[in-house]
Amino acid sequence: MANISTRFFGLDLKSPVIAASSSMTGHAEQVIKLAEAGAGAIVLKSIFEEEIYHELQEELSLRSEMYSDPEYLDYFDYVIKDENIRKYLRLIADVKARTAVPIVASINCVSSSDWVLFARKIEEAGADALELNMFICPSDVSKTGENNEQFYFETIHKVLQVVKIPVTIKISHYFSNLAGMVQKLSQSGVAGITIFNRFYNPDIDIQTQSVVVADVLSTPNDFLMPLKWTGILSGISVCELAATTGIHSAETALKFILAGASAVQVASVLYTNGPSVIKKMNLEISDWMDQKGFQALADFKGSLSQSTTSAQAWERVQFMKYFGEKAF
Amino acid sequence: MSTNKEYLRIEREKEWRTELRKKIANKDRTAMTRTRMPELDPFIRIRYQDREVNSGLTANQAQLEAARCLDCPTPTCIEGCPVSINIPKFVKYIEQGSFLEAAKTLKETSALPAVCGRVCPQEKQCEATCFYTQKMKKDPVAIGYLERFAADYERESGLMSVPEVAPSNGIKVAAIGSGPASLAFSGDMIKLGYDVTVFEALHEIGGVLKYGIPEFRLPNKIVDVELENLQKMGVKFVRNFIVGKTASFEDLKAEGFEAFFVASGAGLPRFMNIPGENYNGILSSNEYLTRVNLMNANKDEFDTPIIKGKNVAVIGGGNTAMDSVRTAKRLGAERAIIIYRRSRAEMPARIEEVHHAEEEGIEFLNLANPIEYFADEKGKVNRIRVQRMGLGEPDASGRRRPIVLEGTEYDIPVDLVVVAVGVSPNPLIPSEVKDLKVSKWGTIEVNEETMQSSIPELFAGGDIVRGGATVILAMGDGRKAAANMDEYLQKNR
Repeated sequence: MANISTRFFGLDLKSPVIAASSSMTGHAEQVIKLAEAGAGAIVLKSIFEEEIYHELQEELSLRSEMYSDPEYLDYFDYVIKDENIRKYLRLIADVKARTAVPIVASINCVSSSDWVLFARKIEEAGADALELNMFICPSDVSKTGENNEQFYFETIHKVLQVVKIPVTIKISHYFSNLAGMVQKLSQSGVAGITIFNRFYNPDIDIQTQSVVVADVLSTPNDFLMPLKWTGILSGISVCELAATTGIHSAETALKFILAGASAVQVASVLYTNGPSVIKKMNLEISDWMDQKGFQALADFKGSLSQSTTSAQAWERVQFMKYFGEKAF
Repeated sequence: MSTNKEYLRIEREKEWRTELRKKIANKDRTAMTRTRMPELDPFIRIRYQDREVNSGLTANQAQLEAARCLDCPTPTCIEGCPVSINIPKFVKYIEQGSFLEAAKTLKETSALPAVCGRVCPQEKQCEATCFYTQKMKKDPVAIGYLERFAADYERESGLMSVPEVAPSNGIKVAAIGSGPASLAFSGDMIKLGYDVTVFEALHEIGGVLKYGIPEFRLPNKIVDVELENLQKMGVKFVRNFIVGKTASFEDLKAEGFEAFFVASGAGLPRFMNIPGENYNGILSSNEYLTRVNLMNANKDEFDTPIIKGKNVAVIGGGNTAMDSVRTAKRLGAERAIIIYRRSRAEMPARIEEVHHAEEEGIEFLNLANPIEYFADEKGKVNRIRVQRMGLGEPDASGRRRPIVLEGTEYDIPVDLVVVAVGVSPNPLIPSEVKDLKVSKWGTIEVNEETMQSSIPELFAGGDIVRGGATVILAMGDGRKAAANMDEYLQKNR
């Protein structure tokens, strides 16, 4: 059986298939199942600053009905944050005591200040690494692109100052110069970059003419965009890359490794197929490697990336000729 | 006390009220300006911790102010009062010169009017819903000043009567804690003939009224008069007694207590959990104020230790923060600063307290939030790092949400920091009583109509239920609990 071990999060991983941060990784029992299924690492469910905000709104509404003193509620976001962090630290300590599989904590950042404090506590609780899930939706017209980009560097800088464990980032593709940005980010001291995080997407119901929540799970066809960028970025980034979105099979995972990713993060497929899908993916990756005569991932990782193939294959943007020749 | 429309209408149609309304035309009433509360000079008062800032209205001032009240057919002011005091009735008694009747009206629904007249946020309650505020966009009738006037008049008249108490029914009930909720509860239960004992963990009775609110805002003598009255009525006070430690509920039941009212308050200070918060010289407002208010740390003849900072920062924007920063000024601070992450408009502190603080030379650093503390080589705080904040969309409380402005940090030299960012419920009783239903934030869950908890013989009210409650609301809880405990005990014996 081929050696499928890899390196990401600044850690040696036994498998390139990582359980991505999702509600499945928010409970100790589930985390242990994923570990037993052979996940290379498990990224715990992110602490979402936004969720804490919503919890605060609920509490404010409830307490205002009770005429609670406004002074009591004035800093209640700190109480909610503390409670969430406390639970999170307990989860880290609990799963760390039960498995040797690397446990990665994840923080969803909207602002950089508070989370820096929690990074230190997460390290103390025993997390092996920290993923900063940097969720900036560039919809605020008052902010310049430079403002948004600066947020990434400031947050990374602050977190790296306070923790010794490896720090990786998970980013979106919303940059005017994605390649340039990823290159700069890869030089910022992070141990890895995961492309790309999935945003909540609204949909529209034309019958009720209302905005509704789009399907939250990825489909097996969603991998093409991150695959393209893995191929382009893997030769540019000085740190390891991992990919996520639409990775539902060993075949897709292998495509990413061929494009230069060190690992893949999976979530939707865990919901549809259960944790055992990781074991299946590991076996199929190994079988393919045996068939192709590869001993280790390093033997083929990045062999089809832009830097080793042609720029045109990865950067071509138009379909004109294809559609021009196609008979309908 | 009934406050339904019919009751209010009948009261309003009484001859004396009708006659009084006719005496001054409404246009003349509305042409009068709101009476200013006489205040002690700021330069004098900052030298004294125990001199009350507001000195109270004179009888003449009170009557003039009361005359502004239009005695509305639909008195919206009552809707703003958490315990539905019949406000026009007591105000009109003042206008008429029947000050003792005014006090009596207040006492129909409020157990401690002299306290509420001083510390209730009337501008956010009854005065916010006054006709003047809502329809005329003018200064409201000074309901709070008038409440205080009536209560003080009664007390100083020497005619403060001890309410009648029903013959003893021999049923022992206990109140845990001795703050406003507990005092209101005890007053009502003793009147009904119960054998009431109040257990207080500290050496002084009064709860937050004593340890939390400085004497420059609420003199102890005001509270003491009410306590003496309760004692005269037969309420027993046991000091230095921690229910759950000194004795358990089971022990008290074995001693014959048949029901309990838990009003143990919110005595657990909250911190922000930011780096450096454990350095020496950083303490909670609870600790700071208790040392001064209850343990006389400001007086040379007492040996209670206290840090008398020269550069004092108080974190928070509530009344507790104002009390702390004004106390620091009185203890000799050269620079006493409020650091608050929202703007002045969002501060939960009473407008009057903010105004008094400004007069006393308190600095306000709004839209700033501490993110880290630094210390000297001995571990004593010497610097605070704050971050500038902006304001976002309003949150569910209706106030604009503070937003971090990245990259705007700067340092301020300090030698004392008082953290006044709120308190949490006292955890002792919720953790001691098995099967007691408690919220995830440590408050006791009760039936809002009866104040009865998941344990039938245990009722609760005030901060331990609401997290934080105004004095008047806590008293309302105490009164509601008393009525319902009485019903429960009478049914179940």
